[in-house]
Amino acid sequence: MSVVAPPEAPPRTGTGTRRREDTRLLCGKGEYLGDVQRPDLKHVAILRSPLAHARIRDVDVSGAMTLPGVIGVFTGAELAPDTGEFSHHLPMIPTLRQITWSVLATDKVRFVGEPVAAVVADSRYIAEDALELIEVDYEELPAVSDAEAGLEAEAPLLYEDWGDNVFLYMPGAHGDVEAAFANADGVLQERFTHHRISGLPMEGHGALGEFDPASGRLEMYVSTQVPHTLRTVISDICGISEARIRVVAPDMGGGFGNKAHFMREEVLVAVLAMRVRHPVVWQQDRTESLLAGLHSREQVHEVEVAYRNDGRVLGLRANFVVDVGSPELYILGCAPAIVTTSVVPNCYDLADYAFEMRCVATNKCPMGGYRGYGQPQGIFLMERVLDLVGERLGIDPVTIRRLNMIPDEPRPYVTATGAVLDTGSFDEQLTELLEAAGYDAACEARDEARSEGRLVGVGIAQMVEPTAPNIHALAGRFGGYEMAMLTVAPDGKVTVAVGTKSQGQGHETIFAKVAAEVLGISPDDVEVSDGDTAALPYGTGTWGSRSAVMGGGAVIKAARQVRDKMAAIAAGMLEAPADQIETSDGFFRLGEAAIPFGQIAAAAYLHTFLLPSGMDPGLSVVVGYDPGNTSPFPDERGKLNVAATYSTAAAAAVVEVTEATGVVKVHDLTIVHDCGTVIDNVILDGQIHGAVAQAVGQTFFEEIRYDENGQPQTSTLLDYMIPTFGDAVRPRIVHRETPSALLGGFRGAGEGAIIVTPAALAAAVHDALVPLGVAITQSSLSPPRLRALLRGRPAV
Amino acid sequence: MTAVRFSLNGEAAEVDVEPRELLLDTLRDRLAMRGAHAGCEQGACGACTVLVDGSGVRSCLMFTVQVGGTEVRTIEGVGSPGALHPIQQALSEHHGLQCGFCTPAMVLTALELFEADPHPTRERIEEWMSGNLCRCTGYVNIVAALEAVAGEGP
Repeated sequence: MSVVAPPEAPPRTGTGTRRREDTRLLCGKGEYLGDVQRPDLKHVAILRSPLAHARIRDVDVSGAMTLPGVIGVFTGAELAPDTGEFSHHLPMIPTLRQITWSVLATDKVRFVGEPVAAVVADSRYIAEDALELIEVDYEELPAVSDAEAGLEAEAPLLYEDWGDNVFLYMPGAHGDVEAAFANADGVLQERFTHHRISGLPMEGHGALGEFDPASGRLEMYVSTQVPHTLRTVISDICGISEARIRVVAPDMGGGFGNKAHFMREEVLVAVLAMRVRHPVVWQQDRTESLLAGLHSREQVHEVEVAYRNDGRVLGLRANFVVDVGSPELYILGCAPAIVTTSVVPNCYDLADYAFEMRCVATNKCPMGGYRGYGQPQGIFLMERVLDLVGERLGIDPVTIRRLNMIPDEPRPYVTATGAVLDTGSFDEQLTELLEAAGYDAACEARDEARSEGRLVGVGIAQMVEPTAPNIHALAGRFGGYEMAMLTVAPDGKVTVAVGTKSQGQGHETIFAKVAAEVLGISPDDVEVSDGDTAALPYGTGTWGSRSAVMGGGAVIKAARQVRDKMAAIAAGMLEAPADQIETSDGFFRLGEAAIPFGQIAAAAYLHTFLLPSGMDPGLSVVVGYDPGNTSPFPDERGKLNVAATYSTAAAAAVVEVTEATGVVKVHDLTIVHDCGTVIDNVILDGQIHGAVAQAVGQTFFEEIRYDENGQPQTSTLLDYMIPTFGDAVRPRIVHRETPSALLGGFRGAGEGAIIVTPAALAAAVHDALVPLGVAITQSSLSPPRLRALLRGRPAV
Repeated sequence: MTAVRFSLNGEAAEVDVEPRELLLDTLRDRLAMRGAHAGCEQGACGACTVLVDGSGVRSCLMFTVQVGGTEVRTIEGVGSPGALHPIQQALSEHHGLQCGFCTPAMVLTALELFEADPHPTRERIEEWMSGNLCRCTGYVNIVAALEAVAGEGP
């Protein structure tokens, strides 16, 4: 008997949506970084530390220099005098260690994979041959391979001058937690652990640089989510004016937040291009990606929860220990953990919340952003807490959530941590989830399966997600706005440039739709370019589910300005007030009279005698768009509204555990999702499918492992397993559309499903294991981890 | 250097390569067949898949000298912007690609399947395709697209 039939009516397809991007990508004609061609292109290979922690005594490159085909070999010490350094740009945080670092290690290496030297050669083959001829004399040091061990008094120190390994200490106190615990009927104490994973875009990082000494111009092609802000960083470190740097992000083979940081290697390529005076390219291979790309998620949470016997959670204390690996990463690897602390209250009325967080430097790959950005851990905490308190009190998961939920009124609702929620009704969203998931029937089927001795479980989870964030508080600079350029050409065709780089989300398609709707023309008449700093003054990039909200808002603003100018031209021709002119189907209309869109465009450029007196020729605008609502830095009580708006989601999962193997089968998954106005439901569903697959991957498959010496154990895709075809979970998706008050009504999408699904899967596995009395308090439920748990042993 | 002659998308190709040169690099760098992508160079992700004598191979694990005398087919020999192959058409209609990095190899792997079995079941599709990894789509719409092709075959 199947507990619940897998939903057989899956993806809503069709509606005619074929993306703009598809044809070139399907035909192998996309232009990813590795496809960018330059005459005389030279190849960069990077020598990386084989040790987790060591002092560099000497680097001897003489052997490598003699290899035919080698153009140059560079060490950190050699580049340092002429090259600037990275920093986190956060001097305003007194409890953050202020460090600087260079493109290549100079005195010390702090993780396996840290870049030590670089070779430029005629081919990648020769460059990699040359790496083997470089001799590095290391003085090996004891390594810190675990954050909690790194806090112990006798732990080795990554930075001797710190005196400990605490990179960031951050306390927070909201409300009156002492009073909450004084009034409690009971206290739950729990420890939650989150394992280390990687976002793993199928195309790794990479950069191509070309410097023209005659003009002093540097052109960079980088597989980056943040081309404009990367330009600023390159300018700082290379000492070239931003006016002389162009950064282009070509087609990208995924990013998922891993490409939203400023990598040492990206700036190294710029430095090398200036040194060798040839165009140079570096493409990260998969081993480099797994050792020295970016890792995410690893945290330990110790929590104490004050509750009343009626199921109300009164207060929460949390102690977060975060393994940030080597801290030499800009944007700050602590940033996702700061987000974790802030989202803990989730969609619940929890005013009394206090925490301490320690981000610990360890001898592991830098921790950074990955889809969800610290939120899966925070949501996991609160959702697990509710289930565990409910279990103690005999209150079911639905009831305990309703008891603690933020009420429908008022809006906005200000959470303990300062989030100003503008969302729809959480209560209705939960009801919709239970109906869509057939929750009651699923629970009955579970009971029946359980009576047959099967380990079947049902779990639910909810989340509210700050989207379109302002990142001043995490990045020191770079805010939360976006820009757009919109030009109508003389033939009436439209070009839009945005700063939010697509990594597969279909931005060419959706921004064409957004612009076309305002202009009253067909999306086929709109071309979209993204990721080119020469096409737009500035942009903050694609991350934080911000592209629809910020990029879309900027496009709407730009399109409205151009439309209004065109309407004024049409009004002059029709001798009517501009506010009576309507735009639809490619015409500017006044009653029966209609002037084609293209005719107005021609007037603006070619027949300018037709323009109203005093109007400038041309139809092109550049706009900046900042919807406001956010604060750049926390207030004196540590409260911060980071997001311009908020999305919500809820998930219900039905799983079955096989006790002998530790394998979990997801029988059914329902996602209710509210990202405000939906631009394209097919693309949106695709985002949810992908986020669900990554949630399934992180829960049941993926784990970056290190041994006690800081040696990585997962350096290939044969060790680091991601889901493949047979592992696909087909979610049933329900869209609520509660428009935000921002331009377009968007709330932002792309991350909701990866934030909420891990908590729902954990709840379902927990429920499945009730007959065995095993509680789920860890994020990894891979077969080995789950088997260890079932056997009552500590996880491997 | 070794001269290697083979058929590439139906046309004669000849390259002079070092014995150690990988087929993926030869295709991309010498023959401008850049639809084959280096996803892992460990033989695990399948993004570099091309067809050699009709069978899918990992071009990152094969030396170019091994394809002498064979027929090599890449995505550039399957469909073109004006004339997409039905598999390509279905992937687009079902939104079976996002970033597109894995997509050309998906098309080639599916092509081999459909040439052997025009009407595969979902289970067969999933089993056959399981050596090609995708990080964006969760596979849902790729399977939907290939099921549509399976239902429309001769």
